Amino acid sequence: MSSIVTVTNLEKHFKVYKHHRGFWGALRNLATREYTLVRAVDGISFEIQKGELVGYIGPNGAGKSTTIKMLAGLLVPSGGELWVNGRVPWKKRRRHVARIGAVFGQRTTLWWDLPVIESLDLLQHIYQIPPDRFRQNLAEFRELLELDPFLNTPVRSLSLGQRMRADICAALLHDPALLFLDEPTIGLDVIAKERMRQFIRHINSQRSVTVLLTTHDLSDVEKLCERVMIIDHGRLLFDGELASLRDRFGGQRELVVEFAEPYQDIAVDGAQAAEQDGRWAIYRFERNAVTASELIGRLSARYRIRDLSVREPDIESTVRRIYEERLLES
Amino acid sequence: MKATLDLYRRLIGVQIRSQLQYRAAFLTDLIGQGMATGIWFLSLALILQRFESIGGWSLGEVAFLYGTVETAFGTMDMIFSGFDPRFFGQQVRRGTFDQLLLRPVSITLQVLGSEFVLRRMGRIVQGVAILAVAVTLTDVRWTPLKLAYLPVVLTSLVCFFGGLFIIGSTITFWTIESIEVVNIFTYGGSELMSYPMHIYQEWMRRFFTYIVPAIFLNYYPALFILDKPDPFGLPPFAPFLAPAAGFGVLAAGLALWRFGIRHYQSTGS
Repeated sequence: MSSIVTVTNLEKHFKVYKHHRGFWGALRNLATREYTLVRAVDGISFEIQKGELVGYIGPNGAGKSTTIKMLAGLLVPSGGELWVNGRVPWKKRRRHVARIGAVFGQRTTLWWDLPVIESLDLLQHIYQIPPDRFRQNLAEFRELLELDPFLNTPVRSLSLGQRMRADICAALLHDPALLFLDEPTIGLDVIAKERMRQFIRHINSQRSVTVLLTTHDLSDVEKLCERVMIIDHGRLLFDGELASLRDRFGGQRELVVEFAEPYQDIAVDGAQAAEQDGRWAIYRFERNAVTASELIGRLSARYRIRDLSVREPDIESTVRRIYEERLLES
Repeated sequence: MKATLDLYRRLIGVQIRSQLQYRAAFLTDLIGQGMATGIWFLSLALILQRFESIGGWSLGEVAFLYGTVETAFGTMDMIFSGFDPRFFGQQVRRGTFDQLLLRPVSITLQVLGSEFVLRRMGRIVQGVAILAVAVTLTDVRWTPLKLAYLPVVLTSLVCFFGGLFIIGSTITFWTIESIEVVNIFTYGGSELMSYPMHIYQEWMRRFFTYIVPAIFLNYYPALFILDKPDPFGLPPFAPFLAPAAGFGVLAAGLALWRFGIRHYQSTGS
């Protein structure tokens, strides 16, 4: 495997000028130009290998979209190095963007008043896609994304889900090696979300398109990505396998116990009784400290138990914990 | 080059087809734009009936100035619709400009192809009609040079106004909002150029000679075509500076535009 994206100490700082209001304020703005420096991206490094499907997550304003904009060649970094497909994106804009695809969930690249098919035709000319290749790709995407029912509908009349499907098709017609997906499932219903995920999985595995996915919906990441990067305050907090994220920070699993009769003292080694209500109790325990079966052994040695279940922390609460408790900050 | 022109043709085709979808709106706009020009001409005629001349220029002669400016401004407003600062400012504000940066085609070409307001045809047709009226009212003594120079003047005017539009759009990279100051030069400039320059105060005339070279674009060519004396005593080649002034402003606009894009890419606004 070889890397398709190499980012080293990437920085993007913005000057945000102080704004004074009113007429005199406007004069002051001109004269003083006071500003604060916002470090939107503050020294991050990572590599993405060809064929990977990486989730890139973080709270609003964490620096996600600034990173993507730099990778896509829309923004020039203020520091550090950035290579995509063996090029510096902003230096060779036209050649760079010919090899990438991007879907920004909230915005369409299609022509508002045109039927979908005419937008796609235009893109063939913009990207100079060979006619054979264009026909092949279009046929495949039409089937997988079920575009046919609205291929002749103007973009302005499409539902959000339809528009998203049309947009993702538009981003892939020119066979990009790398695809940026920004919130591809935002606002979609459950079925549409699942269909979109299947499609993303398909293009990643069958067409070996490398995908960088930013999303608020952590189930996207959970279902699609093996690797996840977490950014906050412009810094990369975590970069690794999703499973190891859960191991390290998933932290406490829960054991829900139903006793045969109510007990006064239910303390047990290696776990903390978090809640107790009559015959019911919930224990929290650390994955690394004790296994579920050890704990069940200890409990059943002392009490009569009717029923048990183990609850895994989901990725959502794990990540929320990371943001809220700033677990990863050095 | 052929591929570029082909793409431009397609992008414009898209715009025209979209506008024709809303046929009623298109027709009313077309007629409205034409009528505005016609009404201007009528009011000018009424004023001149009373005062006989504006700065010594007859109705036909002023109409010649107005006709050239109107034809050229209408044409420019159609071709450079994408660079209309009000339209372009919106593109930057809404982030749709980013979409243009994501495509492997010249950004200038894409902006030109992002809007093409066909209903400006109404204004162009009226402009040409007024130019025709002006020519019949003034009995110009046509020479081959004058005949050949008129289209050059019109083209130069289109470039001049186009350059101003591009400058206005570029400024929105910094201001985000389209600013009214720009309209002073574009709409105000076209208004001002519809009257003979010698009726304005000296500082204003100097400004439109040396800073924004508007005076060379239709006033001096009009002096030449209408065989009128030069009240300011500029060298005899002054009427022929129109192409230099027009293309110069366009080139300056494009240079600033390139700089603006680089600025945009470093701030993202």
